[in-house]
Amino acid sequence: MSGLAAAPARRLTERVNPILVKEVRQALRGRYFRVMFWLTLGVATLAGLLVVADAASSQDVEEIGQPFFLVMFACMSAAVHAFVPFSAFLSTSAEWDENTHDLLVLSNLGPRQIVTGKLFSALTQALLYYSTFGPFLVFAFLLNGIDLLTISVLLVCSLAACVGLSLVGIALASLARVKAARGLLMAMFGAALVMTWGGSIGAAGELASSPQDLRDPEGQLAVVFFLTAALFLGGLFGIIAAARFAHEEENRSTGLRLLSLGLVVLAGAWGAWLRAQFGDEEFAWGTQVGAASMLLLLWLFFLTERDTLGRRTAAHLPARRGLALCLVPILPGGGRAVWLFLVHFLGALLGARVALEFGATKPGDALEASAMVAAFYGYAFVYLALPTGIASFVVRSERARVFVRVTTLVLFPVAILGPALVGLLLGIEDWMKLRHPLNPIWVMDELEGSARDQAGLTLALSGLMLGVLLTLALNAKRMLAGVGEVLAASRARRAREQRA
Amino acid sequence: MTSLEVRGITKRFGALTAVDEVAFQVAPGEICGFIGPNGAGKTTTMRICATLELPDHGDVLVDGVSVLEEPRLARARIGFMPDAYGAYANTTVLEYLDFFARAYHLAGAQKRQTIERVVAFTTLDSMLEKEIAALSKGMKQRLCLAKTLLHDPGVLILDEPAAGLDPRARVELRELVRALAEMGKAILLSSHILSELAEMCSTVVVIERGKLRGAGAVGDVVRSVTPRTRFFLRALAGPEAAERTLLERPHVLEVRRERDGVSFELEGGPQEQAELLAALVGAGLRPTEFSTRETDLEDAFLSLTEGRLQ
Repeated sequence: MSGLAAAPARRLTERVNPILVKEVRQALRGRYFRVMFWLTLGVATLAGLLVVADAASSQDVEEIGQPFFLVMFACMSAAVHAFVPFSAFLSTSAEWDENTHDLLVLSNLGPRQIVTGKLFSALTQALLYYSTFGPFLVFAFLLNGIDLLTISVLLVCSLAACVGLSLVGIALASLARVKAARGLLMAMFGAALVMTWGGSIGAAGELASSPQDLRDPEGQLAVVFFLTAALFLGGLFGIIAAARFAHEEENRSTGLRLLSLGLVVLAGAWGAWLRAQFGDEEFAWGTQVGAASMLLLLWLFFLTERDTLGRRTAAHLPARRGLALCLVPILPGGGRAVWLFLVHFLGALLGARVALEFGATKPGDALEASAMVAAFYGYAFVYLALPTGIASFVVRSERARVFVRVTTLVLFPVAILGPALVGLLLGIEDWMKLRHPLNPIWVMDELEGSARDQAGLTLALSGLMLGVLLTLALNAKRMLAGVGEVLAASRARRAREQRA
Repeated sequence: MTSLEVRGITKRFGALTAVDEVAFQVAPGEICGFIGPNGAGKTTTMRICATLELPDHGDVLVDGVSVLEEPRLARARIGFMPDAYGAYANTTVLEYLDFFARAYHLAGAQKRQTIERVVAFTTLDSMLEKEIAALSKGMKQRLCLAKTLLHDPGVLILDEPAAGLDPRARVELRELVRALAEMGKAILLSSHILSELAEMCSTVVVIERGKLRGAGAVGDVVRSVTPRTRFFLRALAGPEAAERTLLERPHVLEVRRERDGVSFELEGGPQEQAELLAALVGAGLRPTEFSTRETDLEDAFLSLTEGRLQ
């Protein structure tokens, strides 16, 4: 490079995330990337030649582009949906194995910079694969049998999947400090990547054989949904990974809580758009129930957080009392998670109600939408906040908190399947068929289907109401303590500022 | 001003109290030796000071900055060298230092000059293009120290930096640590080589089973555990006979059998010493050596600790 061009290039690299520079250097010098790169390219070339040879021998060269594209996509997908995310996992795992994790977190790099550095390094590798396979894909288009829109959509979706999977890999490797646990996670993640690879080939085949789907609203909807889900999950796992690289006194919860609120808003927007597009009123509440299902695990984590604020978080709360109060639901702590849950619930109710307005409504639609959202949230509240609320009176250690999380997760299927077993023993047919008040799916089905079993539904809803009240009562102490702690910290900040 | 102030920190792992109300200070330019048996809580304490562990109680101030309330600010003032040395695969010495210099937000000429400075200080000049995997243990320790110094921290926390080094590398490391103290850095250093610590450190902190057993200037700590003079006796009659006789004498305490003689403490002054010597001769022990023994850090450590593991 000439001296004139070298200086700006050097200045540019100085600004690039240091982890990206280091990891790209390591990857290009390491065996893993070189072996995988040449292996993928070799297999792709060989398979491409076989496709062309097969088409030439059968004189079927009219639409050879489609099989050629699918073979190339399968090879590229192995690289960007399996090798690259797996290398992101290995790179994060190596920080533990090589004892560099502590050195990294002690540097001036923030947790987000560490995660984005690792993500960008994975994406740089992915871009190398994309640029290598680019000419083959263009060649496939020139061979006829596949259109440009299908190729473009598949490439965009594969990139989104690569981003999401790489972030999942980084987060999983950052979660397991113990080598054995990392080994187990590696095996599970590897298996999931192989399945994703298979799924991506299937989806590509499906799209390539019926490209008109992409011109239908349903097809476009599926693509947009896929992109949203991939990027949301990627963002979620990215925040989890960043939390793992942060100091224990850092606030690791607020980012996730804001993301969860964003999901409820996004569900409202989705509901409104779908309702306007297709007219079905089920979209108004369905999107909110779908979003709440995605939030179940997050709620469990929030509800089992240590109830007290960390000293760092407390020291940095705003001095203004009103502002501090507004922040209560998004601040860390199990008690404050209950407030967050209530905010989610109100947001979901409002979102469903607003979404309904984007289409023609019948009498009873608004009530049904509210009832469906309320029923799902009610069950989620009881199943998650009741056991964790009871546990909050006795649990103090992190290990015990993990135990509560696992136990609460187990309670959910037990509550649904348990009565079925009892029904089997006692000969109660409804229970055997999972038609019992502890099953939220049955209750929601009854609500939507205008109650075929009115007595059963009344019993279930009464029980649910009691359960919600009991859960609120059990959590009331920590909810109030959560608010009190925030107000006290805000007051202390005001006093400090006045002294200063 | 105190550079490092540990304020009554406690850390529990389940039922085990790894660190129990430990408090001490390290001033600028001071080398503080941190000693204790294996499992005493040294590494946990150091990791709390370095913001890598959270104490259940107490706090650590680095140049007045709390590691709990402002961990990022504290980290900028701390250089931590862990006992488990960390290196990246497929990376040269220069690339390693370049990476960490960037990670400390150094860029351009400042980055280059900083790397040159730490490389010159740790005499790694000839190793820059070498892969880290090819370095000797001593060189790796130097590299880790160079990395620790990149952001010019005021407080250095070095966990077993001399472990596994050959005698020459240990001497060189000692010189580097002394030079750093002369630059005004506060250094907390743990080691099992007590003779070396005694030579290098101005203060010492002794910890056992999570509890502080002693802290202060090396001389003060040694004197605090052995206020009486210790003597050594070698006699032709043999150590058994010498021990038997000594145990029967007044003013004699803490009799210990050694390889070729007996050591003991004696209450009193020259009068008591003369009387004892006469009594030993009179008892037919035929002494060949009767001398005072200098108490060192090792003796103090053994006196302060019980040697029990947690």
